[in-house]
Amino acid sequence: MFGKKNDPMTKFDVPPAMDANEAARIAFDHDLPLSKHHFVEGEHPVVRIEHLMKTFDGETQVLRDVNLNVWNGEIVVVLGPSGSGKSTMLRCINLLETPTAGHILIDDGEITGKSSKEVGIIRRDLGMVFQSFNLFPHLTAKENVMIGQTKVLKKSKEEAEAEAIKQLTAVGLADRADYKPPQLSGGQQQRVAIARAVAMHPKVLLFDEPTSALDPELVRDVLGVMRELALHGDMTMIVVTHEMGFARDVGDRVVFMEGGVVVEQGLPEDVFDNPQHERTKQFLGSIK
Amino acid sequence: MSLRKRSERRGAVAIVTTLMLALSLAMPTSALALTTNKATARPNEDGGSSVIGGLDTRLTWEGTVEEGEEVTEVTLMLPDDGTFDGATTKITVLDGLKRAKLEGEAVANGSQLTVTFKEPATAGYLLRLEVEGMRFPSEGGDIVVSGSYVNQAGEQTLADSKPIKTIANTPLQALVAQLDEAPWVQAWNSNPFLGMFFKPQLLATAFATLVPGWLLCLLIVVIAYPFAIVLGLVFALMKISKHRLLRFISTLYINVLRGTPLFLQIYIMFFGLPMMNINIDNNVLGVIVIAINASAYLAEIFRAGIQSIPQGQYEAASSLGMNYFQTMFSIILPQTIRRVIPTVTSDFITSYKDTSLLSSVGVMELMMFAKNLTSVSGNMTPYVAAAIFYLVVTLPLIKVVSIVEERIANSERGGGPRPKGKNAAKAAEASNGAKLSGLAVHAQALDDEHAYDSAMGQMTPSYASEV
Repeated sequence: MFGKKNDPMTKFDVPPAMDANEAARIAFDHDLPLSKHHFVEGEHPVVRIEHLMKTFDGETQVLRDVNLNVWNGEIVVVLGPSGSGKSTMLRCINLLETPTAGHILIDDGEITGKSSKEVGIIRRDLGMVFQSFNLFPHLTAKENVMIGQTKVLKKSKEEAEAEAIKQLTAVGLADRADYKPPQLSGGQQQRVAIARAVAMHPKVLLFDEPTSALDPELVRDVLGVMRELALHGDMTMIVVTHEMGFARDVGDRVVFMEGGVVVEQGLPEDVFDNPQHERTKQFLGSIK
Repeated sequence: MSLRKRSERRGAVAIVTTLMLALSLAMPTSALALTTNKATARPNEDGGSSVIGGLDTRLTWEGTVEEGEEVTEVTLMLPDDGTFDGATTKITVLDGLKRAKLEGEAVANGSQLTVTFKEPATAGYLLRLEVEGMRFPSEGGDIVVSGSYVNQAGEQTLADSKPIKTIANTPLQALVAQLDEAPWVQAWNSNPFLGMFFKPQLLATAFATLVPGWLLCLLIVVIAYPFAIVLGLVFALMKISKHRLLRFISTLYINVLRGTPLFLQIYIMFFGLPMMNINIDNNVLGVIVIAINASAYLAEIFRAGIQSIPQGQYEAASSLGMNYFQTMFSIILPQTIRRVIPTVTSDFITSYKDTSLLSSVGVMELMMFAKNLTSVSGNMTPYVAAAIFYLVVTLPLIKVVSIVEERIANSERGGGPRPKGKNAAKAAEASNGAKLSGLAVHAQALDDEHAYDSAMGQMTPSYASEV
């Protein structure tokens, strides 16, 4: 199946007749961003960010005016130089940062300005994978995947355990289920963290530079897992990363951020091969 | 000796006494009677003032010869197991303040001592028998010295002495007696330092005597500590709370308790509460003071421990949708506890030692017992024994602290025992089951055609080479 990757449309089986041109036409007709994703007519975005602003300590303005829509099942890769606000945007979606102004809607529901109790319920729909894994070191890999299910989703221990084993198998770590995080490599830890997020079956999975803290040889394991998830799950993913290969390969859409705003977005091949904005050109030039 | 045997003997003694009484009543001269002035025994307890049965001591018996009497023989009798065997008897006969020239001979025969005078002792004479090296019955009790005497009219019953309080001879007292005799102990004690700080007899006595105090120390700290932990945790959570008032209360509590000596806190509680007509049992109050004092230190330990947990742990927990209490009790505190175990154990050691301060207000703990024993014996050895009692608890705990510290450091480096192989096999089996049941969403994606080697736990996507 990896052989088919050069033809981006083959992974969308429904409808089978859909091709790149038609997707582009629908996107154009409905004023949707260009994406490899198959849009269903009349569908609302699962994440809608409108005029999002975030200021730290009342002076450092990290997000100026971010507008971004993410559709169900779409893999959006967010690129940008450090300090461009991409991580902050992601953390705002998860309400780990409180937006200073603007709106974020998940499934058409406003999530800003909610009480801490409501925030807890909102966060169940938003899985997060952190740069530094943030596994719970006192729990085994399996327990890490179970704890959210038992404590938050109130699943039975057996149910949660079955789900944990399933997800750990999916990330290739079934044989490490009883290991504690410090006994695992960075790559393995991050894969457990992905399993932990996926086990909650969130509407949207947020990846905050998931491979930045890893040794190069471990990066591909994690990217492999994310790739599997993107290609075979029906998960909506927003991935902040510096992995250009991943963005190009797996991303349905690439979003380029700079200075707290979305500068450019579109099909990965368009953005990479034919960037429109000067900053995008500069950034991609410096990467190459 | 069995109880039955003893009661039989008592019965026999009673019969003999009754017979003798009957005999003496039959005598016409029974009006004349040798009076028993006193019967006392020298204390033979090391570092104490008791008379111990079964150990050598000195019995002093005094009697006055009445008008018209001529006493030729005095027999002292001890109950049951008392023995005069091997004793040396000093016979003193006083005529007023003068020593009368009256010789006598003492013959010991088990619990009987017969003193025969060469010439009869006449009226007004004071007979004093000092029996050195005799032993009272080893089971202790109130011992009455009875007996008989012979005057010109024949054998008469001697009036019973006032009871002499004796205590049972325990193995400890036997040991002390043995040590007293041992030549090496005498040589040891002749050294001023060893004799003052490590006197073997006192060490043995102190070990036995201090046990109740030691147990009270342990009891106080063991009861106080769980309360201190709960209280400390509450104040720690208050101190990191968002609410200013809670933070203020907690800071005040912690700083006042940590900023004043425990000694002062003890005085305030022990003397202040009774003045407010609040009367609490001393031991309970001791527990309360130690618990409150320790809670302030524990609050700081817990606060530091909680704050040492990286922010990422909170973020990971809340990104799973956990609320404050779930995050605290499932994620943060379990990790905190691991980290603070060494510090908390050190604090426990401190609290255990701090119970010694309670001796100043009359709690009968270890130091109190040691102090009492030292003031009786005039020797420092009981304090050394108390030190050993403290160390018996603290040294192993200090060792525990260093072992736990090492293990925590090791496990944070990723060391420590790995799960056994069979668990991994079980997990793999379970995952197979999950796959077969068709539950797995992307487990299906990991079919054989994919380069996925579950045994290696490695995933090798081909595209990675193109990155």
